Amino acid sequence: MSDLDDFKATYFDECSELLTELEEQFAAIEEGERGSDRLNAVFRAIHSIKGGAGAFGFSALVGFAHAYETLLDYVRDGRVELTDEVAALCIRANDIVADYVKAAQLGEELPLDYGSEEKSRFDALARGDTSTSDDEDDLSGEIVEEFDLEFVPVMVSIGTDDASDDTFDAPPMEDVDGSWSIRFTPHRALYARANDPLLLFRELAALGEISVTAHLAEISQLADFDPFAVYCSWTITLSGPDVSEISIREVFEFVDGDCEIIISRGGAAPAAPVKAIVADEEEDADFASLLALTEEEMASKKAVVVPSAAKAEVPAAAEDAGLSFLDLAAEIKPAAPVVAARPVAPTAPKPPAAAAPTAANEQEESHRPSGVQSIRVDLDKVDRVVNMVGELVITQSMLTQQMDETLRARYTELVRGLEVLAQTTRGLQDSVMAIRAQPVKSVFSRMPRLVRELAIKTGKKIKLETIGENTEIDKTVIEQLSDPLTHMIRNSADHGIESPEKRLAVGKNEFGTVRLSAEQAGGNILIIVEDDGAGINRDRVLQLARDKGIVAPDFTPTDEQIDQLIFAPGFSTADAVSDISGRGVGMDVVLSNIKKIGGSVHVRSRTGKGTRMTLRLPLTLAVLDVMLVRLGGSPYVVPLSSIVETIQCSRASFDRVPSGGRVLQVRGEYVQVADLCQRFGLPSEVKPDDQFVVLCETEGSQKLALVVDDIIGQQQVVIKSLEENFERVEGIAGGTILGDGNVALIVDVQGLRTTQLHQNAA
Amino acid sequence: MTLRVLTVDDSRTILAMLHHTLSNAGFEVLQAEDGQQGLDVLKNESVDVVITDINMPVMDGIEFIKNVRATGQHNSLPILILTTETSQDKRDQGKAAGGTGWIVKPFDPEKLISVINRVVH
Repeated sequence: MSDLDDFKATYFDECSELLTELEEQFAAIEEGERGSDRLNAVFRAIHSIKGGAGAFGFSALVGFAHAYETLLDYVRDGRVELTDEVAALCIRANDIVADYVKAAQLGEELPLDYGSEEKSRFDALARGDTSTSDDEDDLSGEIVEEFDLEFVPVMVSIGTDDASDDTFDAPPMEDVDGSWSIRFTPHRALYARANDPLLLFRELAALGEISVTAHLAEISQLADFDPFAVYCSWTITLSGPDVSEISIREVFEFVDGDCEIIISRGGAAPAAPVKAIVADEEEDADFASLLALTEEEMASKKAVVVPSAAKAEVPAAAEDAGLSFLDLAAEIKPAAPVVAARPVAPTAPKPPAAAAPTAANEQEESHRPSGVQSIRVDLDKVDRVVNMVGELVITQSMLTQQMDETLRARYTELVRGLEVLAQTTRGLQDSVMAIRAQPVKSVFSRMPRLVRELAIKTGKKIKLETIGENTEIDKTVIEQLSDPLTHMIRNSADHGIESPEKRLAVGKNEFGTVRLSAEQAGGNILIIVEDDGAGINRDRVLQLARDKGIVAPDFTPTDEQIDQLIFAPGFSTADAVSDISGRGVGMDVVLSNIKKIGGSVHVRSRTGKGTRMTLRLPLTLAVLDVMLVRLGGSPYVVPLSSIVETIQCSRASFDRVPSGGRVLQVRGEYVQVADLCQRFGLPSEVKPDDQFVVLCETEGSQKLALVVDDIIGQQQVVIKSLEENFERVEGIAGGTILGDGNVALIVDVQGLRTTQLHQNAA
Repeated sequence: MTLRVLTVDDSRTILAMLHHTLSNAGFEVLQAEDGQQGLDVLKNESVDVVITDINMPVMDGIEFIKNVRATGQHNSLPILILTTETSQDKRDQGKAAGGTGWIVKPFDPEKLISVINRVVH
């Protein structure tokens, strides 16, 4: 059922937000903030997860969440103290909840006893603290038994079972033809909670045939009339083939405790003495005259309006006139609004009204975020807008390109219009991108805990500093960021940071620092993971690379090249694959994940001082500033962000290196050359001297010179994934559709450099 | 006439399910994410019945009901409490605040509608 799937999607979405919220709250709790706000937020998060899980029947999740929630409830009201041990248990519990959510999402089953150890800890903690009180048994009973109860989507009828058992020995269904007699006396609280006898009668009428008799003896003189008092009670005779006492009790479920109900078998004799079925003449007249008052008269009397009570009394009065209840339902309608629409008379007692709104206002001021309103939008919808804006940007730039000088001179108004259009389009694009932007906080917030765990596992002392967590990036980029960041931080903690003894021995603080920062740099976001550990052991890296055949024995790479080797496929620097950073994934996976979202990774390490890994990510995945070049007659695009300069081949000076590769000398620096026509197997259409060199900078300020046939110009393009639409192609980062409808491929500069390096090295 | 229901819950999932169930049943649905928002809605809109959760940030369900009743303008507005709590204690609290009735989560759509019909004209 698609509706259900939609709800489930919403639910899992919500769960992931709540789990992130839990992380944040516990990070603060660990910092020592143990205020009730934090605990309430934690409680609510678990409560919401449980609530939704119940709706979808994820019973294992509900069971665990319920036990956890019970503990949290106890912590919240102080019955269990939030010690470090309890906090640690909660953090583990969060993980277990997360695992249950994930399993539910994937439709998998976790082992039956998953989390049972923690669950029994909850119980023990909760019991331990209340062991002196006599509800110990109740408590454990509650925890265990309520799991079963939770899944019964039925209304629990309160107080019915006992009553039926005690009062009636015979099964209620025994006498199918017999009728029931119900004596119903509401209390004033029944009206105060907006319950309405009329509705109860309607419910009863749905069970069988009813007739209602009103008892009006209590009605007072008009002078003594208290608008909040109850003057009316009823006897209802109900007959029908399938009427059980339980079903009658169910009707009165909501008013249980707010009225007196006596149910008896046999329609003839109401259980309570009937004082007067027909009210005293005089009182009746009084009431009738009250009902007959015009609005003005009532307003001037300022005394007598009780919305629900009055409504209820109308049938009572009419009943005396011999009408049956069912007829009344129609008649009451016109009368009711007259009474109900009126505000409560000013003289009526209004006890706590004054204080409450003030409290509400204060709350509004202190709790509401500064007037920022938001809506939730399906990401697909935003994506569509982003894509269309991208296309608009391109169409606009295409239009601008097609304005030649003659047109410009002739249609100045048109030119001005196009300029305004260009400006607006750009603004629109920025605004649309901003919609998808989201602070990196959501990913960063998961890291403190990771570092804590790593510190425990490795026996090292590690601090995590985070900077710039409010930096915003495209949501899709953020989603892809979690795994690589986790991996990089693991690397830093596992390989980078030394043990406290070692650190002290080399004169460092025994606490190693991992710094995680985010900043915007032009059209990119830089995310930097930096540690003050030992740095990359280059000798070992090189040795390992040689052993694995990644680097040829006679090739001596530079330090920077060695650092980059950790990204080579199948490379792992750990002597033994530890359970921390190993996990069968290397930095090559990090690199490919980052490249997938159009970013790049650069490592820089200083022996003994530490390692810095820089992720350069695009602000958005959708639109890219590019230079359009020609290769073998076809257009290709090179991302503008990586281009340093362009040089005409006739002015460039190439050399050959012994391995056969071509290098270009630019201002005393030798740069590797990638002849794109050759690389992509295209026939170059121009003479070597007429070609151009596009000098690009890749990660780590490594340069690469791309040889192209011609340079067409700059423009913006909307990136289309090649992998999604076709397959991954080495050296190509994606495709795009140009303004004239042609398809152009986007050159993957970083990818080219890496393969070039390996080719040269091999 | 179309009945208007105000649902107050901090869980988007529950709000979505309520919205679906109620609008399928022909109700007009207004939604709020906490008690304070619920009060704001009631300030400007007239509704026929309110369904509210208990555990919510900013203002919980019990406070919300108290506040609604305290204004004096909503004495006859039925307020249903939607709760995972099966305990009598919570129910009593809700009732004491002025709640009309309750629905136990997870709710069964048919039952939900029948409960609403039980408290509104």
